[in-house]
Amino acid sequence: MDAFFHLTLNGLATGMLLFLLAVGLTLIFGLMHILNFSHGALFSWGAYVGTWVYLTTGSFFLGLLGALVAGVLLGWVVERFVVRPVQGKGLAQILITLGALLVLSEFIKVVWGPHQVSVQPPAYLSGSWEIGGVVVVKYRLFLILVGLGVFFGLKALLQRTRLGLVVRAGVQNRDMVQALGVNIGRVFLFVFVLGSALAALGGALFAPFSGVIYAEMGIEYALYAFLVVVIGGMGSVTGSVLAALLVGLVGAYMNYLVPEAALAVNMLLMAVVLLFRPVGLFGARG
Amino acid sequence: MRRSARRAVWLAGGLLLLALPLLVESRSWLLLLTQIFLFAVYAMSYDLLLGYTGIVSFGHALFFGLGAYAAGIVMQRIEASLGALLLALVLSAVLCAAVSYAVGALTLRLKSHFFAMFTLALSGLFLVVAEKWRSLTMGNDGFAFSVPEWLRGREAMYWLSLGFLAAMYALLRRIVASPFGTVLVAIRENEARAAALGYQVHHYKVLSCVIAGVIAGWSGAFHALALRFVNTSVFSVDVTLDALLMTIVGGAGTLIGPILGAALIELAHHGLADLANTHWIFERWIIFFGLVYILAVRFFPQGIVGTVQRWGRARSLRGMPPQPVSKGVGRAVETVGDERSVGNG
Repeated sequence: MDAFFHLTLNGLATGMLLFLLAVGLTLIFGLMHILNFSHGALFSWGAYVGTWVYLTTGSFFLGLLGALVAGVLLGWVVERFVVRPVQGKGLAQILITLGALLVLSEFIKVVWGPHQVSVQPPAYLSGSWEIGGVVVVKYRLFLILVGLGVFFGLKALLQRTRLGLVVRAGVQNRDMVQALGVNIGRVFLFVFVLGSALAALGGALFAPFSGVIYAEMGIEYALYAFLVVVIGGMGSVTGSVLAALLVGLVGAYMNYLVPEAALAVNMLLMAVVLLFRPVGLFGARG
Repeated sequence: MRRSARRAVWLAGGLLLLALPLLVESRSWLLLLTQIFLFAVYAMSYDLLLGYTGIVSFGHALFFGLGAYAAGIVMQRIEASLGALLLALVLSAVLCAAVSYAVGALTLRLKSHFFAMFTLALSGLFLVVAEKWRSLTMGNDGFAFSVPEWLRGREAMYWLSLGFLAAMYALLRRIVASPFGTVLVAIRENEARAAALGYQVHHYKVLSCVIAGVIAGWSGAFHALALRFVNTSVFSVDVTLDALLMTIVGGAGTLIGPILGAALIELAHHGLADLANTHWIFERWIIFFGLVYILAVRFFPQGIVGTVQRWGRARSLRGMPPQPVSKGVGRAVETVGDERSVGNG
């Protein structure tokens, strides 16, 4: 029972991190029909910038802020100079973001060196509480709360603001939105930058969670994020949070029972979804 | 006249390559050329998918690795003989055909993004399996194995690889020139239209995927035989990236392009590895390749061979009466696959 609770909390925390990474992917895909492979690199960049700021200033929240700023800047650069020039050019737009992923990931090693960096959560978030006989690791609870906050914030943005209305309409039919006089290019840029910033935030939050960061982690976690996006349905925020929690929980339980099969079971989950419901569990359209 | 001249160039080049081991003493150069031949086959197999059919795979290393492990395990567990070598090639073909069929049947019906993602994730899975299944693969340490007596010399491996490249080039040329290959190009140019003409588009795509998988598996098998060693690096993202770079830089939608691309990229690997001793920035060679790749996709989507062919065509057209221009070659990256033309509901 204790182990079960422990694993569940761990799975939910991992799931929330995956959600931060996947929600940008799913929105960018839903709106722009671009599979953004460079998203994984933003995750690594967020982790490195966040950790660097955190370790130099000593403030964890300044670190998170730094990661957000880095995500915004890099997202802008990638959208402006890599993605936009190949908009609507078929295969080129699938191919090009992979190049951006490689260059950005490798550039981390130029700036911070090729070695792993270890990092601990700040004092007020480390350790754990014991509530009624079960141990609750503070940092994991913190991750879950942040994830929920971002989810409800995004929901409010999408459902309650005019910008959110345009984004939702763009996911449904971008040509129509453009025909109605909305500068869809600017909305693309906004969504791309927002998604990149959230991925970077996810990376910065991930660093104290795993304890070590390395340049290739972006590619690794991007794989999980792709699973989440496919299972949840491209373009759906609710889908991506539920799928992320599902993938996180399955990963945590399998890691405990049969560690070798953790990724395989999630792959199988994706294969089943692709086979029976290719639009994803919560996707309205493909 | 032009045709016979071209044939003479081919013949001279082929003879030169055949005679090279007798002229060149350096064993490292022979090994490098062997690698180029094998990666050329691997890149051509990828080009059948990307350049001819317009399918983007981000997990081609999967087949390369399967072939490499098939060869290594058969050689190590059974015996180093010609029979075992043939068995390894058959085993590699069966494994690659089964996996590529399953992947293709599952995801090629959907939009191109799904295939790209699925292959990326699956090759990641195979890498993890190869690392964890230590009793079979020895994990990241890998294992060395012996090869048949007659294959031990560098020259023998060189000639075998050259023959393999020639055979696969001839085979793929036949395939892309056949009615089947024409349908693949039609799918690349306009999938909805090919389907409307009555072709079972899905079957053609799956078959293209299977052929590419099997040939990539063989190139992996020969790669392992040439090194007499195999470890998990054969499944790495770098190997997939090599296929992409070689095909796109060389020229997608041509068969010579990937061969040229393989030569360039392998030489660059080699050269940059030497330069790494002079300045640390050259250790980060992926940055250079990534930038070249981005620039190639953006500004030279037809690659070297495609661009040269276009110049050649423009020049030959100037002095001649107008004639129909084949528009197929090298356009894959540029134009195809607008997701709105293919719906999956």
